Amino acid sequence: MTDVPWLVLMIVVPAVGAAVVAALPAAREALARQLALAVSLLVLLLAVLTTVAFDPGGERFQLTTSVAWIPDFGVDFALGVDGIALSMLLLIGVLVPVVVGASWRDTPLPRPGRPARSMTAFWAWLLLLESLMVGVFAATDVFLFYVFFEAMLVPMYFLIGSFGGENRQYAAVKFFLYSLLGGLVMLASVIGLYVVSNSQLGEGTFAFDALRQLEIDPNVQKLLFAGFFLAFAIKAPLVPFHTWLPDSGAEAPIGGAVLLVGVLDKVGTFGFLRYCLPLFPDASRDLAPWVLVLAVAGIIYAALLAVGQSDMKRLVSYTSIAHFGFIALGIFAFTTEAATGAVLYMVNHGIATGLLFIVVGMVIARGGSRQIRDYGGLAAKAPLLAGVFLLAGLASLALPGTNSFVSEFLVLIGAFPTRPVFTIIATVGIVLAALYVLLMYQRVMHGPPRGVLLVDEDGAGDHDPADHGAGDHGAGGGATAVPERGAGGATAVLEAPARARVLAVRDLSGREIAVVTPLVALILVLGVYPQPLIDLVSPAVEATMSDIGVDPGGSTPAAPGSTGTGGTD
Amino acid sequence: MTITNYLVLAAILFTIGAVGVLVRRNAIVVFMCIELMLNSVNLTLITFARSTGTVEGQVIALFVMVVAAAEVVIGLAIIMSIYRTRRSASVDDVNLLKY
Amino acid sequence: MGAIEAPDLSYAALAPLLFVFGAACVGVLVEAFTPRSVRHPVQVTIALVGTIGAFVATLLLAGTEEVTAAGALAVDGPALFLQGTIAILGALSVLLFSERALDPARSAFVAAAAVPAGSVRDRELATSERVQTEVYPLATFAIGGMMLFTAANDLLLMFVALEVLSLPLYLLSGLARRRRLLSQEAAVKYFLLGAFASAFFLYGLALVYGATGSVRLSDVRVAVVTEGGSALMVIGLGLLVVGLMFKASVAPFHSWTPDVYQGAPTAVTAFMAAATKVAAFGAVLRLLYVAFGTADWTWRPLVYALAIASMVVGAVLGLTQTDVKRMLAYSSIAHAGFLLTGVIGLGPDGTGYGLAATMFYLVTYGLTTLGAFGLLTLVRDGDGEATHLSQWAGLAQRSPLVAALMSFFLLALAGIPLTSGFTGKFAVFRAAIEAGAWPLVVTALVASAIAAFFYLRVVVLMYFSDPAPDGPTVGVPGLPTTIVLAVTAAATLVLGVLPGAVLELAESAAVFVG
Repeated sequence: MTDVPWLVLMIVVPAVGAAVVAALPAAREALARQLALAVSLLVLLLAVLTTVAFDPGGERFQLTTSVAWIPDFGVDFALGVDGIALSMLLLIGVLVPVVVGASWRDTPLPRPGRPARSMTAFWAWLLLLESLMVGVFAATDVFLFYVFFEAMLVPMYFLIGSFGGENRQYAAVKFFLYSLLGGLVMLASVIGLYVVSNSQLGEGTFAFDALRQLEIDPNVQKLLFAGFFLAFAIKAPLVPFHTWLPDSGAEAPIGGAVLLVGVLDKVGTFGFLRYCLPLFPDASRDLAPWVLVLAVAGIIYAALLAVGQSDMKRLVSYTSIAHFGFIALGIFAFTTEAATGAVLYMVNHGIATGLLFIVVGMVIARGGSRQIRDYGGLAAKAPLLAGVFLLAGLASLALPGTNSFVSEFLVLIGAFPTRPVFTIIATVGIVLAALYVLLMYQRVMHGPPRGVLLVDEDGAGDHDPADHGAGDHGAGGGATAVPERGAGGATAVLEAPARARVLAVRDLSGREIAVVTPLVALILVLGVYPQPLIDLVSPAVEATMSDIGVDPGGSTPAAPGSTGTGGTD
Repeated sequence: MTITNYLVLAAILFTIGAVGVLVRRNAIVVFMCIELMLNSVNLTLITFARSTGTVEGQVIALFVMVVAAAEVVIGLAIIMSIYRTRRSASVDDVNLLKY
Repeated sequence: MGAIEAPDLSYAALAPLLFVFGAACVGVLVEAFTPRSVRHPVQVTIALVGTIGAFVATLLLAGTEEVTAAGALAVDGPALFLQGTIAILGALSVLLFSERALDPARSAFVAAAAVPAGSVRDRELATSERVQTEVYPLATFAIGGMMLFTAANDLLLMFVALEVLSLPLYLLSGLARRRRLLSQEAAVKYFLLGAFASAFFLYGLALVYGATGSVRLSDVRVAVVTEGGSALMVIGLGLLVVGLMFKASVAPFHSWTPDVYQGAPTAVTAFMAAATKVAAFGAVLRLLYVAFGTADWTWRPLVYALAIASMVVGAVLGLTQTDVKRMLAYSSIAHAGFLLTGVIGLGPDGTGYGLAATMFYLVTYGLTTLGAFGLLTLVRDGDGEATHLSQWAGLAQRSPLVAALMSFFLLALAGIPLTSGFTGKFAVFRAAIEAGAWPLVVTALVASAIAAFFYLRVVVLMYFSDPAPDGPTVGVPGLPTTIVLAVTAAATLVLGVLPGAVLELAESAAVFVG
C-alpha cells in the first residue's frame, strides 16, 4: 500500500474536483455542493489511508514522491510527510467536509436590486484551496513549498472577496497584500538559500534534506532566517503583523474563516518548525528571545483585545492570535515537550476554533448580526446550540478534559525549564482566555432575552427600535439565512410581519448536528486520549530538535493527566 | 588647429539642439532642433574620421543624413496631420493625454 | 585602386530577416497593385507568412554561431532566440491588427489617415469598412527592424535597425480609428521624443567611434580591454544607454510610455509593449555584454540606478492610474526595471545566469502583456474601447471568461506562482543574487508588492464590485483575437507550470559571438 502515491492523489483529487465544479453551469448549484462534499469526503478517506500507510517509527519523510520539475533551477516536485505534516493533512481532511456541511445553505451576500449570485464558484475555490493546502504541507522542496504557499492566496482571496461580509473587498485585498509581501520577502531568502547551496554543493538545490545539511555562515543565516520568519510571522500571525487577521476572519464566509485560522495560518507555525529551525539553527537560537517576546506579547495583547470585541467573528479571530502566541512559544522554547505541545496545539486549535467559528456562524445565521449585543438568552430557546457553543468555548480556553488542555499544558510545562519568565507571563493569557470566552457565552446565551430573540418573544412590530437602532446589522459573513437582510435599515426589516417567523430561533437542525458532531467527538476523544497523536508527531519533533542541537531527551512525552492535575486554569 | 575645436563646436551645437527640444513649444521648431543635434553628430563623426584616419566616420555621416531624411518624411507627415485638424503646431495644444 | 569587394553574406543565417523584410516589400507592392477589396486578406496573409516563416527559420537555424555581413551581423544564440520571440509576438500582433469582428466599422485602424480628423469626409469614412491596409507592411517593417536590432553587431547597424523599427511605430501609433486626436497626439509625442533619443544614441555612437576608431562591437571590446575606459568612451557608453533605455521605456526615460500606450490603437500598444521591449533589451544585452562586457564597472552602477528608478517609478505611479492602458504602461516600466535586475546578473565573460534569465523573462513578459492588451480590445462601449477603470467594475458578471482571463494575466504580471511571471521573476532575481545584488532584489520585491496592489485593484473591481448600469459591453472576438488570447494564456500557464524546456533553450542559447 505504500506504493500508492497517496500525497499526489490528495493534491490531484480536490484539484480535479475543483475543475469539474467550476465547469458546472451556475444553475447546478445543488450538484456543485454535492460534488464538493463527495470530493472532500474522498480526500478524508485518502488522508486516513495515508495515515495507515505511514509508519510512525520509520524514516522521517515517508510516502515520498520526487520528479524533476524545473531542472534548470534544480527544482523537484518532491512530496513527503513526517508526523507533523501528516497530522496537518488529517486536520485538513476532517475540516473540509465539515466546512462543506457548515456552508451548505450559505448564500452570497445579496446586493440590492441584483439577482442572487450562484455559490458554484465558492465550492470550486474551496476544493482548489484544499488541494493547495495539502500541497503546502506535503512539499519537501522549498521551491515547491513556496509555490503552494503563494498560490494558496488566490482561492482564499476570492473566497473572502466574493463571498464575504460587507467589508469584504477591503479585507480580501489586505489579506492578499500582507501575505504577498511576506511571501516576496521569503522569496528573496529562498533564492538566497539556493545560491548558498549552489556555492556549497556545486549544484543548486531546493531539496529540504540537502539544504538541512548546509553549513551557513551565522550572519547569512540571520538574513535568510529573517526572510522566512517574516513570511511565517505574517501568516501565523504574530503580533505586530497580525492586523489583517481580524478583518479577514470577520469578513470571510464562515467556511473560509474556519479554513483560514484552522489550516492556512498553521502554515506559519508549521514553517517555523519545518524551515526556520532546521535550516537556520544558529540564527534560530540567537533570535529566539526576540521571537518569544513577540509570542508572549501576542498572547496577552490579543487576549486583551478579544475581551473588548463586540463582534463575535473578530473576537474569535483575536483568540486565535493569542493561541498562535502559545504555539510560537512552544516552538521557540526548544524543548521536545514544548514543541510536541505546539504541534498538538496546531491540530487542536484547528478543531476547537473551527468548531467555535462554525457555532458562531450558526448563531449569526439565526440572528443575522455579528454583534454580541444583539443576542441574549439564546440558551433557553436552543439548548443544543448553547451546549455546543459552550463546549467549543471551553475547548478554546483549554479546560482540562478538552483537547486543547493537553497541548497547552505540554507547551507550558515544556517551556518552563528553559524560559520560565516567558512561560509565567503566558499563563496570564489563560486567565484572559477564560474571561473572553465565558463573557461571550454568557452574553449570547444567558441573561434576559435580547436582540433578535426579543422579536420572537414579543411578536412582530412590537419592540423598542432603540435596541436595534445602533446595532450593526451588516449581515454576518455572508452566511446569513435571511437574504433580504443586507438591504434596508435593520429596524424596518425587523418590523415586517414576515420577519417573526424567519427569526424564530430554531435549535440545531439535523444537518448542523451532523456538522458539529465530528468536531465535538474529536475534542472529547483527543482530550482524554491524545497518545496516538503524540506518538505520531514525536519522532518528527525530535528530529527537528536534534537539527538545532537540542537533545531530544529520550522518552516520548506522555500525555498529562487529562483530569485537571495541573490547575493551569 | 586641433580637433578639439571641432568637437567642442559639435558639443555646443548638440546642447543647443537638446535644450531647444526641451524648451521650444512649436513641433516644427522642436523637430528642427533635433535635426541640429543630428548635424552636430555628423560634425563629430567627420572630425573623428579625420583624426583617426578611418573612413567609417564619413560613411556613417552619410547614413545619418539618409536616416534623417526618412525621419523628416515621417515626422512632417505626422505633424501635418495633426496641424490640419487643429490649425496649430504648438505642442502645448497637444494636451489631451495627461495623466 | 582595387575593385570594391562585396562583403560576404551568409544568406542562410539571414533567412529570418530576409523573410520578414521580403514580406514587408511585397506588402508595399500589394498596396500599389491590388484592388482595395482584396487588400486586407492579402496583406494579413503576407504579414503572417513573413513572421511565421521567420520564426520557423530561427528554429531551423538554432545552434548557428556566425558573424556575417562583414562583421556587422551576429547570428548567435541570443539573436536567434530573441528573433524567434519577436517573430512570434509579431505574428500574434498581426492577428490582433486583423481583427474585424469587434469594431462595428470592422477595424481598429483608420480608414484614411490623410483625412483630417473631425472633417466631413472623416465622419463619412468612420462608418465605412475601408481600412488603411498599410498597417501590415508597416508592422512587418517594424518587426524586421526589431529582429535586426537584436542581431546588430555594429553600432551603425544598430542605429539603422533602431530607426527601421521606430519609424513605422510612430506612424502606427497615429492610425487609430476612434479617438483620432488622441492617437495623433500620441504619434507626435512618440516621434519627437523618439527622434530626440535617437540623437543621443547617435552622439554616443560618434563618441565611441572617436575613442576606438571603430563602431564594430568586437573592436570596441578590444579597445576597452587594451586602453581602458577613456572619458570619451564612458560618456559615449552613457549616451548609447540613454538611447536604448528610451526604447525599452526605462525610467527616467519613460515619459512617453503612458501617453503613447494610451493614445495608440490597442493592438499597436500590445505590439509595442511586447515586441519593442524584447528588441530593445536584445540590443541592451548585446551592447553591454559584447562591447562593454569587460568594462562592467562603467555600466553596472548606471544600470543599477536605472533598474531601481524604473521599478519604483513604475510601481508607485502605477498606483495612481485610473485608465487600464496607462496602468499597463506603468506596469511595463516596472517590468523594464525587473528586466534590468537580470541584466545586472550578467557575469564577466559569459558566466552568470543573467543573460538566459533576461531572455526568458522577455518571452514570459512579452506573451503575457500581449494577451492583457489583447483583452482590452474586447471591452467596448459606443466610443470604442472602454479603458477607464470604473468601466471595468463588475465585469465578472457580464463576462466571467474575460474577467477570469484578465485576472490570470494580471496575476502573472504580479508574479504569482504557477504563472509565467513568477518563473521569469525567479530567474532574474536568482541571477541578480548570484551576482551579489541583494539590495536590488529587495527593492524589486518591494516594488513587486506595490505593483501587485494595482493589478489586484482591477481584479477587485471586476469581481467584487457591482457593474455600472451603463457599463461597457464585452464584444465577441473573431478568430484572430481568439487565437491570440488562447496562445498567450496557454503560454502564460505553461511557462509557469512547466517552464523547463524554454528555460533550457534560453540557457543553451545564452552565448554571444563577438
